Amino acid sequence: MALLPEADRLRIWRGLMRYWSSVGETTAFTKPDLKAAVDAIDTFLENNAAAINSALPQPFRGNATVEQKAVLLSGVIAMRYTKEWLRKLVGEVE
Amino acid sequence: MATRAILAPFSAEFPSSNFPQLMLVNTRPVLAFDASTSETAYWTFAIPQGWTGTVTAVISYAMASAVSGGVAFDVALESITSGDAVDLDAGNSFDTVNAGNDSAVPGTAGYMEQISITLSNLDSAAAGDYVRVSLARDVADANDTATGDCYVLAVEIRDGA
Repeated sequence: MALLPEADRLRIWRGLMRYWSSVGETTAFTKPDLKAAVDAIDTFLENNAAAINSALPQPFRGNATVEQKAVLLSGVIAMRYTKEWLRKLVGEVE
Repeated sequence: MATRAILAPFSAEFPSSNFPQLMLVNTRPVLAFDASTSETAYWTFAIPQGWTGTVTAVISYAMASAVSGGVAFDVALESITSGDAVDLDAGNSFDTVNAGNDSAVPGTAGYMEQISITLSNLDSAAAGDYVRVSLARDVADANDTATGDCYVLAVEIRDGA
């Protein structure tokens, strides 16, 4: 998969700011800082996509779609740091 | 110096698109200006008698989440005198915007600060004129770097400074 188009990076940037505003979560960084972080993470994932995929065991790796692998990655990251975010992604987890 | 108008969230008027969200935050009415899309709100009043001197808009605001960076606003006036050749049901005739910013938002989200913007461009506003004020967050301004919504609590229009 290629890098996200700039329009999609801006959607992430915009959406995160609106989300943090809606929940009143303190953000100790500026708009340019956040945009740079979005760009960096997208670039990192692009550069390390093969390594992330290689970390997945077979037969899952061979049978799952790219989208399923992406949801898996986001779910594990969400659970590691913010379970509520995981609930927003997939629903109730108990 | 005198307060000539107080522009409050509940009395704001909105365009058909790109307007701040009117909401209650801890029971306080605010206009939530987005950080990425420039949004505009308007207010209408008549210029009071005795209007004189330098006019200033004082914007009371708080940030929804940001504790760093700055926020920038544009204030513009459209002033209509009796008999002016302005078709009010067909368009606007706002003067050039008056820009201002706070380069450092409060260090705690929710704390209130004020931005004072001198209204040099008044569209020749004079006592008795019908006037509209527009307030827009200038999200493209290099000084507008604070993330998330900016809650505008009130705008005071002062003259005689």
